[in-house]
Amino acid sequence: MILARLALRNLLRQRRRTALTLMVVVAGFLALSLAGGFMAQTFQGLSDAAIRGGLGHLQVMPPGALEGDEAQSLEKALPDGEALAARLRRDPAVAEVLPRSQFMGLLSSGAKSVAFLGTAVDPVLEPRFMASAEALQGGAQSPGGAGSRWLSPDPAHREVILGIGLAKALGATVGSSLTLMSTTRDGALNAVDVDVVGLQDLGLRELNDRFLTVSLATANQLLDAGPARSRLSIVLKRPQDTASEQARIQALLPETSVKPWFELASFYRQVKLLYFAIFGFMGLVLFLVVLLATANTLLMSVMERVREFGVLRAMGLQPRQLLVLLQWEGAFLGLMGSALGLAATLLLRAGLNALHLQMPAPPGTSHGYELNIHFVPMVYLIVALGLQATLQVSALFPGLKAARLRIVEALRHV
Amino acid sequence: MLRLDHITRAYELGGERAGVFGVSLDVPQGCLAVLAGPSGSGKTTLLQLSGLLDTPDEGEIFLQNEAVTALTETARCHLRLTRLGFVFQAFNLVPVLSALENVMLPLQLQGVGDGEARPRAEAALARVGLADRRHHHPGQLSGGQQQRAAIARALAPDPLLVLADEPTASLDHAHGGPLMDLMAELAAERGVTFLVASHDPSVIARAHCVFRLMDGRLVGEERS
Repeated sequence: MILARLALRNLLRQRRRTALTLMVVVAGFLALSLAGGFMAQTFQGLSDAAIRGGLGHLQVMPPGALEGDEAQSLEKALPDGEALAARLRRDPAVAEVLPRSQFMGLLSSGAKSVAFLGTAVDPVLEPRFMASAEALQGGAQSPGGAGSRWLSPDPAHREVILGIGLAKALGATVGSSLTLMSTTRDGALNAVDVDVVGLQDLGLRELNDRFLTVSLATANQLLDAGPARSRLSIVLKRPQDTASEQARIQALLPETSVKPWFELASFYRQVKLLYFAIFGFMGLVLFLVVLLATANTLLMSVMERVREFGVLRAMGLQPRQLLVLLQWEGAFLGLMGSALGLAATLLLRAGLNALHLQMPAPPGTSHGYELNIHFVPMVYLIVALGLQATLQVSALFPGLKAARLRIVEALRHV
Repeated sequence: MLRLDHITRAYELGGERAGVFGVSLDVPQGCLAVLAGPSGSGKTTLLQLSGLLDTPDEGEIFLQNEAVTALTETARCHLRLTRLGFVFQAFNLVPVLSALENVMLPLQLQGVGDGEARPRAEAALARVGLADRRHHHPGQLSGGQQQRAAIARALAPDPLLVLADEPTASLDHAHGGPLMDLMAELAAERGVTFLVASHDPSVIARAHCVFRLMDGRLVGEERS
């Protein structure tokens, strides 16, 4: 412990230099941990959007549902999706099961027809577990969206909610009557008249231009679907168990394919990879800056203490103990830098979040979001450990230089 | 206690060959021995060789009749830590430590716990008359006080041999004399052997034996 005490005293002796070095470490900690908090916000937002956008935590689908397109509606469907949903609802780990059907066709206003991608949902369950109602609020702000409401639970009502781009293309507003055309499961052409009850802003322009939502009852009339459903979205009671529950439920339903949301959310995975690449490179550069700055400081400190090291060696200190002494100095710089960096991060995070800054809309999306840098202890721990390792490495070269000093020359050093 | 047998250590200094050449001497236990001679005569080189800070090109060094020249660096470090003490011309106390902590340092490096090191260091400081200055840092002590603290540091681990390089050179006469008296007392009182490099006549006058060097060679030996 005497070496640790000596190291600490030496750092305190050169207060200005130590303070400057600590500033570099603190700046590195601050930049990396804030970036980590921002990444966490982004990932959280994207995962919420994916899960509450309809995927749920798990999706049950027929095997091969993700390979190739359907030649006709519900060609790749769970034949008795409703019975399967009822069975899964009895599972103690499942909070709810939301059956969905996906279909394509043409939407006509009489004067104009536009291709659409349709999703049929349960009008009662969907707003309770998914973000449908929030998308509806966004659509209500658009021209013609005033008075938007969710689909009626009454199966006799044939209603549709349109993406704002799709509504604009057809010149449709809330209250307009349109005709949905598609093929039934048997391949026959069918059509139903629907009333527009709402407009949705789904956040992505491509979706807004093509997407519409109807109730399962309306879709059944159009597609002659019976109990068949394209997918079952499972909402788990414990989202953190998604991976283990996927394996368990897949074993229970071997005739189906059970996928976790993160395998299906390709946008989420792409953004995650992109962020890891960008912030990984930034982290590498920052670690390099910290490494060079601290190595320089410690080397200067060694050069100023050559005679002192000579005396310590004369007294019987082993060369490797000088290496340990410098490692202690690096360790204290890392510990102090990380502690101060954490304090600065928490302060700056609180300040930035309190400003309610609006971030611009990310590429491909139609609206921005409020900056809310997350508190992520694991990121702080990883950054602290990374900086600590960097400082131990930076102390290595000065330590080796000190350990290699010849005692008689060190004692002569002026 | 310390025996040098035909020691040679040569090096280049300003384009000329310097060092010590074929020096043999024998320092008995409890002796205050002085290596005397003008600058460049090889006093410091011989002192460093005796203190295992450097290795000779030729010859053998014996410490308590044990040949130590060919020892590994680890073994030499251990010997320096446990059996040798050093006093330097420029005192060389560790500036970030108090006088007491400086004296405790070699004990702590030996692995002695604070509980034992502290009273031993306090006793060593009391013996050199610095009990009331033990919490002062080197910058708060006079030159004489620093050198006495350095002697206390050298003596605290109970070494067999203390090597002092021009210990009075940075002190005025009023402080140098008493310092040498202290060394003589300690040699007599504890049986510690002192090997001092100096050209100061007041130091030489207090020595039990004097080895005179000239141009790296032993040219005279006086014992009282």
